[in-house]
Amino acid sequence: MLGSAGTDEAAEGRVPSELRLTKAGRELLVTAVSRFALGLILVFALFPIWMMVMNSFKPRSAVMTENPSLVPRTFHPSNYVEMWSRFPLVEYFTNSLIIASATTVVSLLVASLAAYAFSRYDFPGKSKLELSILGTQMIPGVLILLPMYLLFINVQIHVGLPMKDTYHGLVFLYSTFTVPFAIWMLRGYFDTIPEALEEAARIDGCTRLGALFRVVMPLAAPGIAATGMFVFLMAFNEVLFASVLGSENVTPFAIGIQQFETQSQTYWGQMMAASTVATVPLLLLFVLFQKPIVAGLTTGSVKE
Amino acid sequence: MLEAVRSGVAGRTPEWASRLRPSLDADTRFAYKLLLPAFLMMAIIHFLPIGWGFYISFVELDAQFISKWWTAPVVGLENYAKIFDPSTIVGAEFWSSLKQTVIFTAGSVVGIYTLGLGTALLLNEDFRGNLIARTLVLIPWIAPAVPAVLTWQMMFRSDTGIINHLLRSAGLVEGTFFWLIGPRSIVAITVVWTWQNFPWATIMLYAGLQSIPEQLYEAAETDGAGRWEKFRYITLPQLKPVSVVIVLLLTVWSFINFTVPYILLGSNPSDSGQVLMLFIYNYAFSNWSFGLGAAMSTVLFLVAMVLAYAYYRRIIGGEFDGGAI
Repeated sequence: MLGSAGTDEAAEGRVPSELRLTKAGRELLVTAVSRFALGLILVFALFPIWMMVMNSFKPRSAVMTENPSLVPRTFHPSNYVEMWSRFPLVEYFTNSLIIASATTVVSLLVASLAAYAFSRYDFPGKSKLELSILGTQMIPGVLILLPMYLLFINVQIHVGLPMKDTYHGLVFLYSTFTVPFAIWMLRGYFDTIPEALEEAARIDGCTRLGALFRVVMPLAAPGIAATGMFVFLMAFNEVLFASVLGSENVTPFAIGIQQFETQSQTYWGQMMAASTVATVPLLLLFVLFQKPIVAGLTTGSVKE
Repeated sequence: MLEAVRSGVAGRTPEWASRLRPSLDADTRFAYKLLLPAFLMMAIIHFLPIGWGFYISFVELDAQFISKWWTAPVVGLENYAKIFDPSTIVGAEFWSSLKQTVIFTAGSVVGIYTLGLGTALLLNEDFRGNLIARTLVLIPWIAPAVPAVLTWQMMFRSDTGIINHLLRSAGLVEGTFFWLIGPRSIVAITVVWTWQNFPWATIMLYAGLQSIPEQLYEAAETDGAGRWEKFRYITLPQLKPVSVVIVLLLTVWSFINFTVPYILLGSNPSDSGQVLMLFIYNYAFSNWSFGLGAAMSTVLFLVAMVLAYAYYRRIIGGEFDGGAI
């Protein structure tokens, strides 16, 4: 085995010659090591999801054992039946779906308009407004939560409009948190659509708003769908505001599922079954539509 | 076409005049109309509460004043004096949780960035199944947070958790080993938060790697650069702009994260896992002490704003151009 190039000799000058590898050999070794490392990372990434699904098929005794297994030793699907009767889980799911879907619709609508303005027009104060959009991402939730609690309670008492523990209260609250994020993402998509198309539509007698809804939005549909998915997820995952402002009547899944953990014991099998029902369909959807979502995330993130 | 209209206007009127009467331009008016709904919502949910929260931090607001918040006695800086004084109960806990927050943030940012960079580098090669690997690696980030964190809670259990079982089988630990209570709870939240967010760093850095011109590497190869030299003198400097943004955003997000510690450790965590967000939440809503809660939130916000300002400076530096938040 001879060193293949002068630089290799220099780099490995201290290594005994019989341990030196050829260039091809070293490439092979590096490839093998990096595939192995990637494999380990994937195991780390997927392990909790694996355990979630596997434990959802285990009876209680197989979860609460000092010798837990990676796959169920017996197939025990009854968790999927029993979980529905312990709490109004159907209601929690429905609440979450209503809140998250309404939030998605409202924020996509509001954010599309704003994103279009940022993408196509130049106006005084633009950079300051853009900055405030970004700034909202830095606000700690508790800072908003205390005044929001007061606002909701006081609107209820003094105006008579119930806000706490209502769908519209949560949807309004969540939309505001997701709108800045959606503006930022949608703007990237709108930027990729050539302006000439709208100009042509305008010449054909389309209004400004008409051009946005009839030309730009249909073209940006994949991006809007990807943004919608993230908005939906954000609303679905929220716990801070939901735990204080939506813990009754409209209890979302993210709060309700914690009830499997009672003072005396935790119904792990059923909790994991409920988790699987919430997680797996969403992951499948993501895997199917992965391309526009990932493309959207990285649009314009780095200047070419 | 728009450019022509605008420059025409600017040519006829002095700049100060066009700034005073921006409504002259139909396009500008249209743009403001488009922005109105979004900013109206943000005014109610973001800007108003921030001002309100700031006010509350100067009053003694407890349960009896909830429906008449404006009658709560103004105490000036007393709330701030209390939280910064380590000899009071709330002050001691405030400093302790601030310290834990900083440790958690530092650990998470280092962990997430390193793992993200490593994964992005491993994915930045052509091999069969690359697309599948890229999709799978994003799953922790896509999976609904609460079920995922509850699963981690199950895995971290001291007696029946799979993590301790694997560690025991490998001979690394003996007997009962607690993750969710005691000094290791900060490790637990850092691991889970890292697991959840490293995919985001990966995808951002992967995009950064993809945009590095191939010619740079070819030129370096002709100069005889090895694998390490190429990484050290081309990859790292080229990734610097996007890395700065990633690190800053991760810092802010880690600082204000609530879901992971709240779901993983519950409402009564050990001191080690009591980060500031969790402490403020528990303190404000279990003692109904909104004034102190608001004062602590304001401090947290100011810290986040300082970090955000650094982020902003980076953007107007022109090295970053939007994209995912």
